[in-house]
Amino acid sequence: MLHRRILQFLIVYLLGVGLLLTLKLALGLSDYVIPGPASVWHTGQSEFLRYAGDVLDTFGVAVVGQVLSIILATAVGVAGRRATWLGSFIKVAAYNVQAYPIVAIAPILFILLGDGFLTRLFIAAMICYFPLLLSVIGIMSEPVADIEHFYRVTGRLRWQLEVKIRAFENLHKLTTVISGSATLAMAGTIVAEFIAANAGIGYSIRIALYQSDLAKILVALFIIGITLSLYQGLLEMLGTGVKKAWAAG
Amino acid sequence: MILERYLCVKQKGPLRWISWTGSICEHMIECHDISFQYPGADATLFQRLDLTIDRAGFHALFGPSGVGKTSLARIISGDIEGFSGGVKIAGDRPCLYTHNRERLPGWSPVGRHLEKTTPAGRHTLRDELIDGFGLSELMGMRYSQLSMGQCNRVNLLRYLLQDFSLLIMDESLANVDEPTRQAILYTIKTTFPEAGFFYISHNVVEVCRFCDRIVVFRGAHQSPQILQVGGQDHYADHPLDKAALERSMLEVINAA
Repeated sequence: MLHRRILQFLIVYLLGVGLLLTLKLALGLSDYVIPGPASVWHTGQSEFLRYAGDVLDTFGVAVVGQVLSIILATAVGVAGRRATWLGSFIKVAAYNVQAYPIVAIAPILFILLGDGFLTRLFIAAMICYFPLLLSVIGIMSEPVADIEHFYRVTGRLRWQLEVKIRAFENLHKLTTVISGSATLAMAGTIVAEFIAANAGIGYSIRIALYQSDLAKILVALFIIGITLSLYQGLLEMLGTGVKKAWAAG
Repeated sequence: MILERYLCVKQKGPLRWISWTGSICEHMIECHDISFQYPGADATLFQRLDLTIDRAGFHALFGPSGVGKTSLARIISGDIEGFSGGVKIAGDRPCLYTHNRERLPGWSPVGRHLEKTTPAGRHTLRDELIDGFGLSELMGMRYSQLSMGQCNRVNLLRYLLQDFSLLIMDESLANVDEPTRQAILYTIKTTFPEAGFFYISHNVVEVCRFCDRIVVFRGAHQSPQILQVGGQDHYADHPLDKAALERSMLEVINAA
């Protein structure tokens, strides 16, 4: 699972770099526009440690944001699973709010909260919260009728058991959604850093952009990709482990 | 001594219990003037249908697929609302409906699940039924590891351990082999002589042999929509009158 994720990333990354080099050769572009492989390699050697630190900084914010989103989405999703007025209201509100691009309100957050940790965290959490919420509501509001029937007719179906049944039956879906939301959280944090923050890999990419240094950007993308692949692979392994442990009683 | 009995009345609304002090309910079940049409369906499923079963025991709902056996069972058990007419069930305990597509949760073995869902004081009964249903070897297994017949037996067993006045078994013994099915039906009949059962099956020999009353569904366009035929209500320790069984089967086939 983990090695498959890393392999998939390496294939996509190498295809992307290959496309750039093909463009460079086909159009006869200078090293200033698209650097050669040797230049990228040298930049990687000199910048790897600094960028790895920046990626870990961004990654830390993204993980905390994602965890907050998961907790909030689970709580609201469980509350909104019922076909009650409150449940319908939560669903409609979630669908409407998620349609609004969070990045568009990021400048307001930077103005109000400054360019520190809290703003990055808030944007990361907001970006992965709504897709998570919609998935959790979808899963939790769908009865598993062939299991729940017995508990319902014998008066044993408490809300905790209902949530447990639906979560267990959809654990694979939940794991996939949580794993996917890691990318969203990371993207959200990087975008936040790119807009206005003073730390993290998004900030470093912005500096590289001002310097028109594509080699630095490629190195940053490589470290971001590897880190995310590792994290998503670990989340999937965790999901499989939880399912096995749960099924083993 | 006059016993105080309770009547469970369901009439297009939530379950209500009405105490009949000093009055004994005459019938085990009364369905009066039932009309029902599924939303979006072109035709009415039931049109002013009446059904009375006078005593507890092992009865059957019989008929070809699609004539409304399951729908009537779900109306009786309260699963379906939005019908007109009334349903009355005698007894102070609920009516349960179980079908053959139910599953047990996958996070615990069958034995632990049964342990958790067995009401207090029925552990001996549970162990007897586990033996009677031939499930002793499966208690450590997960539901997903069982065959379809084993799944159905486990599911039916957990319902039998609950409180009920009437248990409706909708093809609950599907995929179970013939000898085991017979043994289970004999076990149910001898273990729960006071309870009411509706057994939905497509096996004419089985319903005629084991059931007391057989409610034969004839389809929405025939009048009357249902007919009742007497079955043999056979017990393991009684001799089986084969000629009478054949007569019952013929009556059921003619009624259908």
